[in-house]
Amino acid sequence: MWLYQKKLQYPVNIKKKDLAFAKQLVTQYGGFAGELGAALRYLNQRYSMLDERGKALLTDIGTEELAHVEILSSMLYQLMKDATIEELKEAGLASHYAEHRRGLYPVDARGVPFTVAYFAGTGDVLADLSEDMAAEEKARAVYESLIDLTDDPDIIGILLWLRQREIVHFQRFKELYEDYKRILNKKTI
Amino acid sequence: MNNYGLNKSMMNFNMNNTISMNNNSNNNLSGLYTGYIRGNMFPNLYDQYKNYQPMNINPRNEKEQYLLDLNQVQFAMHDIHLYLDNFPNDRSMINEFNKNRELYNDILKDYENKFGPLEICSDSLNRNPWAWNNEPWPWEGSDK
Repeated sequence: MWLYQKKLQYPVNIKKKDLAFAKQLVTQYGGFAGELGAALRYLNQRYSMLDERGKALLTDIGTEELAHVEILSSMLYQLMKDATIEELKEAGLASHYAEHRRGLYPVDARGVPFTVAYFAGTGDVLADLSEDMAAEEKARAVYESLIDLTDDPDIIGILLWLRQREIVHFQRFKELYEDYKRILNKKTI
Repeated sequence: MNNYGLNKSMMNFNMNNTISMNNNSNNNLSGLYTGYIRGNMFPNLYDQYKNYQPMNINPRNEKEQYLLDLNQVQFAMHDIHLYLDNFPNDRSMINEFNKNRELYNDILKDYENKFGPLEICSDSLNRNPWAWNNEPWPWEGSDK
């Protein structure tokens, strides 16, 4: 089970409303490289891990990704807070307002809703861990693109931090992948 | 300022500030504050984007200072935890984990007594009225 802790893993205090950026940032909530997909991908894949290391690592990184979903959601909430209907229309968010008013909804930067196809899982540990390594690299790349698109230091600081987590997670998945590959190769000889 | 001595001035903000590990481990750890603002406790894994530097976190009151202390110790514990999932026999890292875990439990208890519950099993909930619902909720930011 999971217990909620009533704080963020990293603080989010965005002072400036920015609907246009929120529209791009939302992809890291509900897009192909987003945190929601990451959390569900790892928590769903952990049942086929080879040993206790993999079961632990996918549980623990999956859990951290849930905390990142909360960081992204907090950013979106603060970026869109108190937006008027005129401002939403100007930022191209009229369709968001029509369907979700000012509520959050996981979509990508083009408005395509989140889909479970984003969290691929094959039941094969080598395929799944390579998927996870690629997912971390994709998320790193998208965070870099998002950093390039803003000059608000309140936003950049958080994105740099989230980007760095992708780098650490990639390393952990890679270590496990290489070890599992070695173990599996030995068994087939 | 509180009693944990983790505030920025005492942590001697320095990107190269590392805690040396013994020879059984190939990993050095960053200082708590540096590791936290970087989002990475392992200097050998740190990867800077362009010329961007990590954002400094400047607490504006006692509550934010406590929260920063709690967050940085929790983060160190968590990043070491992920490492230990893969390398469960690294004794020096297990020691580092436990040092941070003990500090974390102390700060958590103090924080909750002073500022209210972060977890539903907190002793600070043994009072009237029900304190769990109190604002701000995490996504509301520190201006709330």
